[in-house]
Amino acid sequence: MNAWQLLLTLLLNTLALASLLAMLTVGLTLIFGIMRIMNFAHGALYMFGAYAGISAARLVDSFWAGLLVAPLVAGAVGSAFEYFLLRRLYKRDGGSFLLITFGWALAMSELVRLIWGSNTRDVQLPEILSGIVMLAGEPFPMYRVFLVVFGSATLFALTYAILRSRLGLLIRSISQNAEMTHALGVDVGAIRSLTFAVGCGFAGLGGFLAVPLITGYIGMGGAAIIDSFVIVMIGGMGSFLGSAVGSLLVAATQSFGNFYFPDLALVVTYLLMICVLLLRPGGLFGEEE
Amino acid sequence: MNKTALPLIVALAAAPLVLSGFQVTLLTEILIFALFAMGLDVQMGYAKLFSFGHVLPYGIGAYVTAFALLHGWPLPLAVGVAFVAVILLAVPMGWLCTRTSGVAFAMLTLAFAQLGYAIVFKWTSLTGGSDGLSGFVRNPGPFGFEGFVSREGFYWLTLAVVVGALFLAQAFMRSAMGTAIVAARESEKRAVALGYEPRSLRVVAFSVSNAIAGLAGALHAGFLLFVSPELLHWALSGHVIIAVILGGAGTLIGPMIGAALFVLAQHQLSAITDSWPLVMGVLFIAFVIAAPKGLWGMQESIRARLAHRKTNRMGVTNVAP
Repeated sequence: MNAWQLLLTLLLNTLALASLLAMLTVGLTLIFGIMRIMNFAHGALYMFGAYAGISAARLVDSFWAGLLVAPLVAGAVGSAFEYFLLRRLYKRDGGSFLLITFGWALAMSELVRLIWGSNTRDVQLPEILSGIVMLAGEPFPMYRVFLVVFGSATLFALTYAILRSRLGLLIRSISQNAEMTHALGVDVGAIRSLTFAVGCGFAGLGGFLAVPLITGYIGMGGAAIIDSFVIVMIGGMGSFLGSAVGSLLVAATQSFGNFYFPDLALVVTYLLMICVLLLRPGGLFGEEE
Repeated sequence: MNKTALPLIVALAAAPLVLSGFQVTLLTEILIFALFAMGLDVQMGYAKLFSFGHVLPYGIGAYVTAFALLHGWPLPLAVGVAFVAVILLAVPMGWLCTRTSGVAFAMLTLAFAQLGYAIVFKWTSLTGGSDGLSGFVRNPGPFGFEGFVSREGFYWLTLAVVVGALFLAQAFMRSAMGTAIVAARESEKRAVALGYEPRSLRVVAFSVSNAIAGLAGALHAGFLLFVSPELLHWALSGHVIIAVILGGAGTLIGPMIGAALFVLAQHQLSAITDSWPLVMGVLFIAFVIAAPKGLWGMQESIRARLAHRKTNRMGVTNVAP
């Protein structure tokens, strides 16, 4: 393997990891943008979606079933939580949200262990995704290529929906000024619930997509939530572009870091976040509060 | 200091004379966690600085104590040097972190704590990596004093530190600077107009809070005689926040009660079921919704309501509720 092939492999790994991370953080960003909530339970939902997806995939013996079920289940759980609990707290400050979602994360991680047990779980890839492709004379797993394509397509579709559809317009206007939007006759509560559900759905989708790379394990949620917080803070809370750039930066730090300086990869990731926050407290693309 | 404090302290001091060894151990654990929670309350309750990385001073306090004990330093000296080390680190960190506020502050403290976790985890030659450090004892001294070596002796040392820290923290919060910190929390603009510097006040609150957490961590190392990266895991930051909210932020004594309940509940629940985090999580959600001021706040508002009712019965009107 020569230097160029190595660089190409690392770059592709970065892209695959970045689309996975972006899937996770875009939900967090969506929810933060419209509700000003930092959802601590996002990692637990990611794990919940992953496990639900694995079960579905095993039940009907199809990877694609899992891909469909994971976001639906995570979205449903999220909207139930929003409907029964979060709604009572909209008048309170951001601190209570951080706390209540933390409690939720704690309970839900344990629930996953109760339902599915402590063993790690894997999913069978369909034939079309399980092979390798030759890129510039080097083998590369097909699944990672799929991640890059699927991830960028999903993110592009979401961005398009936010920027071009009427619902996207309403979401943007609520995140700018919820009271004014409400005064114009928009059912702000319903759109908030919907956005929350979609955000949670993305967490579940990201979780299921991560399973073939890392296998499902209890604790994958905790690792994911810290990563996604780092990304959101680097990119700027509530900014889609920021989430994408943050995902790329963190993915690059981890891919290249694990290759060149494995012991320091994590340290560099956190240092990156600390530097960004100190130079620009609102993140690279966020507004300063 | 009210009239219930003295009997309570006397009872706690006399406890090892009647309790079993296991119960003394449990009580020591409760006291240390209570100190940790009280420390967090100084910045969370009084300065509204939500720290999601309070394990950092706790873990550093514990590791520094472990290093000192491994080098044969007497226990009180080891705790003291850990306390100083945490303060030296907390002041510049506080200055950096208070550049931000709100969620960004919470995430920045989380990032620092994660950085600490990653360093402790990876720097195996210094910290023992994931195995942690063990094999040290509560060294006697200084001057050959052996009072703190036994389980009971260490319990009394912990009790003395916790009670002392509580009274100092209460005095600090009642002092001119403590009230200025609360003023800056309530209205930053007015505090500025009165000539205060809110950011400096926040740095002070941050440093005091971290110093107390460092002290708790130092005691933890002396108590278990084992330190591992688990001390710096973010879940522990969450647990101590739960304790503060459970008891009632901004009351100092409330978080200590919350911490005691947390440790007891964890012990009792984990004896019954492996799924104690589930129960804990649900309880915590119920608390945040139903009693945002925590147990202590509930107690105070019930008392206030009762007093109000009493005055009403006596035919007095125009009393503020």
